[in-house]
Parts: sequence; structure tokens; C-alpha cells
Amino acid sequence: MPPLISVKGLCKSFGGLTAVVDVSFEIQAGEIIGLIGPNGAGKTTLFNCISGFTRPTSGRVEFAGRDITGWLPEEVCHLGLARTFQVVRTFPDMSVLDNVLIGAFARTVSRAEAERGAREVLELTGLASKAGLLGRNITIADKKRLELARALATHPRLLMLDEAMAGLNPAERQAAVELVRSIQAQGVTILMVEHVMQVIMPISKRVMVLNYGRKIAEGAPEIVAHDENVIAAYLGAKYRQQAPSLPGPAA
Amino acid sequence: MTRDFLPVSRQLSKLSWPSLMIGLVALVLLLLPFVFSNPVLLDLMVLIFVYAGLAQAWNILGGYAGQISLGNAVFFGVGAYTSTALIRDAQIVPWIGGLAGSFLAVILALIIGYPVFRLRGHYFAIATLAIGEIAVAVASDINLIGGASGLTIPFVRDASGRPTDSWLWLQFNQDRLPYYFIAFILMVFCVLVTILLDRTKPGFYLRAIKDDQDAARSLGVHVLRYKQLAFALSAALTALIGTFYAQYILFIDPPSTMGLNLSVLISLIAILGGVGTIWGPIIGAAVLIPLGEVTRAEFGGAGAIELMIYGGLVVLISVVQPSGLMGLGQRIRHRRAPLTEPEARAAAASSSQEKPHATLD
Repeated sequence: MPPLISVKGLCKSFGGLTAVVDVSFEIQAGEIIGLIGPNGAGKTTLFNCISGFTRPTSGRVEFAGRDITGWLPEEVCHLGLARTFQVVRTFPDMSVLDNVLIGAFARTVSRAEAERGAREVLELTGLASKAGLLGRNITIADKKRLELARALATHPRLLMLDEAMAGLNPAERQAAVELVRSIQAQGVTILMVEHVMQVIMPISKRVMVLNYGRKIAEGAPEIVAHDENVIAAYLGAKYRQQAPSLPGPAA
Repeated sequence: MTRDFLPVSRQLSKLSWPSLMIGLVALVLLLLPFVFSNPVLLDLMVLIFVYAGLAQAWNILGGYAGQISLGNAVFFGVGAYTSTALIRDAQIVPWIGGLAGSFLAVILALIIGYPVFRLRGHYFAIATLAIGEIAVAVASDINLIGGASGLTIPFVRDASGRPTDSWLWLQFNQDRLPYYFIAFILMVFCVLVTILLDRTKPGFYLRAIKDDQDAARSLGVHVLRYKQLAFALSAALTALIGTFYAQYILFIDPPSTMGLNLSVLISLIAILGGVGTIWGPIIGAAVLIPLGEVTRAEFGGAGAIELMIYGGLVVLISVVQPSGLMGLGQRIRHRRAPLTEPEARAAAASSSQEKPHATLD
């Protein structure tokens, strides 16, 4: 089966600074892929290049069989690729329901139909009881969930989550992990940037590691976690001692 | 259902009191000219309707989509000049001229919007301001439309050569009452368009664009397309009112129909009343227009006092009540009604973590 998304030789430089260098990868429909790396490794820039917010300097992005390199974010969204933002971008003066409606309107002009879709997503994400609150008035954990709910309401085939769990406490994080799993269970492919190893390791089938804009490792979480380069660049020596406690390579 | 058997008082209470108020105000406005036939009052009311309609049209772009236009008078001028030129040079009735003006205004809006909507924030306002000034300069130089000295609309005359009233030619100089109702209907039309927008997909998209353009794009909102839609709607309605205004005054010239003063007044009315709301522009016009007329009558025609008051109001609104009179009303109502429990909790949570809105990249 052809991959849902395939990125080939993607480069992005801002003036003299090269943020993404020759990154290639493929994701099959239904996978959950983790993207990790230290701050400034180019994860968000990579997201922006794929989702149309910045035009890559060179390279190709193919999604669902189409070359979407240089497409606008709104066009990419209509093709079924949705993203969240690392720094939440809730519509502050709209209610939680209206925030999600904006996403739902991507698939219909009917308000009734959009509202039905939006309420379903609110139910799924556990925001139903807050539907009437203004975007500016909810907690950061709810804003993160709303960000995800909105993206989900566009009915994406690929959902790209940019640190959807940063800043959440362990209980909230656990709820978010469950949520991501249930979204995947509905057939949505997920590419997630995350810093919290306890989240990304058990949830992803495959992990990619970026460092200084380059992909330095890719593979099953437990293999990547033992990779010397990854430990040196990102996880740190402390992680080496913890690593054995992770579940061993899957049989 | 049981609803039919509710006592009348209960049924009435099911209607929200704002909609009752609105119905009542509309009724009063319709009956007003039959009770008070004072021409000064009727003239004032017509002006209020005209400016309320203009502010409402501005509100679609400025209030809902958050794109502050300081050049909307250009479309007013296009409406006024198109119908007037068609009457003078081609004997085409203003009913058709008004539609033609509206159509031209839409085309112009789309042409202006295409490059200008790539600008954000203040730069959009500055660009529209410049376009307004250019329009005045250009119109003042085209002799075909009267240049700087403007155009008059000739009186419609009956067989004996006396001026007469005509629905066909939209002139009511003997009995001016029809002007009142046409202006009222135009304003109501602008309100209806806004209500429709407010409740449907485009209205939601415009609000999303105003709140966070990049987030909107990530959710599939074609930002340029919807800004263009808002601009075109705004221009079309503004031009229609321009045609009416030309028929009402029977004289137009570039500064009075396209100038910066008019553009600023339009936006000020909407901002004072409350941007992005359905009733704000109406309330703004009902307050500002009489204020302007009274000060002009009291302190002379130069309008300096009027401008000082407007300036003071702008400062006052931005410091004290950025959401306008509508926001003030909401604040009073909220103070009266205690917050519901989740609202209170949310408010408490937000006050502890209010932070500046971040931007992409």
C-alpha cells in the first residue's frame, strides 16, 4: 500500500540558518508516529513545511497520492491533513463550541450538520460540559484539548500534534494519551511531536529523532531509546540508566 | 404540545425581551412620521437610518472580519456617482442605477481587496485610507462626472414643468415621507444581511479570521476568499445607500461622498456602538448622528466642535469600553446576573493565567 504521507529530502533554511536538512520519511495509514528531538531541532519547522505554513526551500511532500509541496494551509486541510499548534491558538472570543464549529465547517456548509459534528467531537474529547465557555476563559489543559478537538472536527486522515501534552499534569496527560489512542482507533493517522518520553514511548509504533534539523534515528521506540546518538543528543546519560526498565523489543 | 396551553404571559416570557424591544422599536419607527410630521425630525431620522446602514455594512468587514477599513466611503461614492451619471447621461432610473453602482462597487472591492488583504492589522487600514484619498483626487479630475464641482440630479417635472414626485425616478420633494421609509427599509436590509451572516458559516469564518488568522487557515478557512466576500458585501450595501443618498440630497461631489471624513464617521459609529454585533451600529448611529446635528446647529456649520467631540469619544471608547455601547450593556447585565458555577470557575482560572496571545513562528 502506498504511504499516506511521504516526505522526500525536505530542507528549509531561514537566511543563513538551516532549520531542516534533507529529512525524508513515510507514514502508513493508521500509524502513530512520534517525532522527538531537543529544542530548536526543527520539529515545528518541519510541521510548518508539511502543513503549508512555510514553503520548504527544497524537497517534496506527498499526501494521499498528491504532491502538496507549497500548498496553502487551508488547501492542505481540505485534503485531510490537520495540525495543532505548540502554543495554543484558541479563538479567544468564541465559545468552545464555536471554536470546534470552525473546524467542522471545513466539511459542510450546513450549520446544523456542523454543530452535530462539533458536539460529537466535544463529547469524545470530554469538553461537552464546557461548550458554552469562551475560548479565553478555559484552563490551559482544556485549551490543549480544544486545539485537538478543533483539528479533529475537520475529519483529518492525518493529524499532526505539536506538543499537545506539554504543560499538562500527569493525570491530564494520561487522559490525553487515552484520547490520542481513541482517535487512532477511529482510523486517524497521527504524527506527534512530544517531549515527554513516558508518553511517546508506549504510544508510538515508530519514533523519529531530529537533531540540528537532521533525522538522526528512526525506528521502534525501544531501539531508538538505546541508540547512542539519540542518548547523546537528546535523552541524556540519565536516560541510559532508566532505559532497561522499558519493555524490551517486541517479539 | 403543551406549549399551546401555556398562559399568554408565559408564552410572552418565552420570547426574549430583546426581541420584544426590537419589535417595539421597529413599530414606533414605522408610526413615528405619522405622529410627528416635523421635517427637521424626519430629516434627522433619515440621516440616522442612512448612517446606521453604512455602519452596519462597515461592520461586516470591520466588526466581524476585524479588517478596519478607512476607505468605505469610496463605495458610497461609487453608488452615488453611478446612479447619478446614469440618470443624467442615459436617462436610466436610479433603481437600475443603484444596482449597477452596487455591482461596480463589488468589482472595485474585489480588485482592491486582492492585493490589500495580504496586509495585516494597521497596514490594511492605512492602505484603505490611501485608496479613499486617491478616489477623491481622481473623481475631482474627471470632468465627465462633474470634477470637483460635483453633479446635481435634475428635478423630475410634470407636463406643466413643475417639479413632481416620482417613485420611478425616486424623487419626493413635495411629500418627503417615502424617503423616510426607503431609508428605513435600507437599514433593515443591512441588518437582515448581518443577521443572516451572523448565523451561518461565513459569519463564523469571519469571526475566526478576526480572532486568529493562522489558526483559521489550519482549520481550512480560505482567509482571502472570505475577506473578499465580506468586503464585497460591505461595498454592495454601502453603494446602495450611496444611491439613495444622492436621490435624497440631489447633489453629490467627491469630498462629501468619498472623503475621509465620511469614512471615519462610518467606522466611528460602528466602533462606538460595538463592533461585531448586530445592533451596535444602529445604536451608534442613534447616538452620534443627533449629537453631530445638535452641535452643528448650536455651534455653527464649520463642524469643529463636532470633530472635537468625535475625537474625544474615540479616546474614551478605546480607554474605557473597547467593545462599545453594546459591550457596556452586556457588562451591566452580567453585573446584575450572578455567574453560573462553571462560568465562575472558568473566570477564576483565567484570571490567574491570562497571558498575551502568542504568534506563529
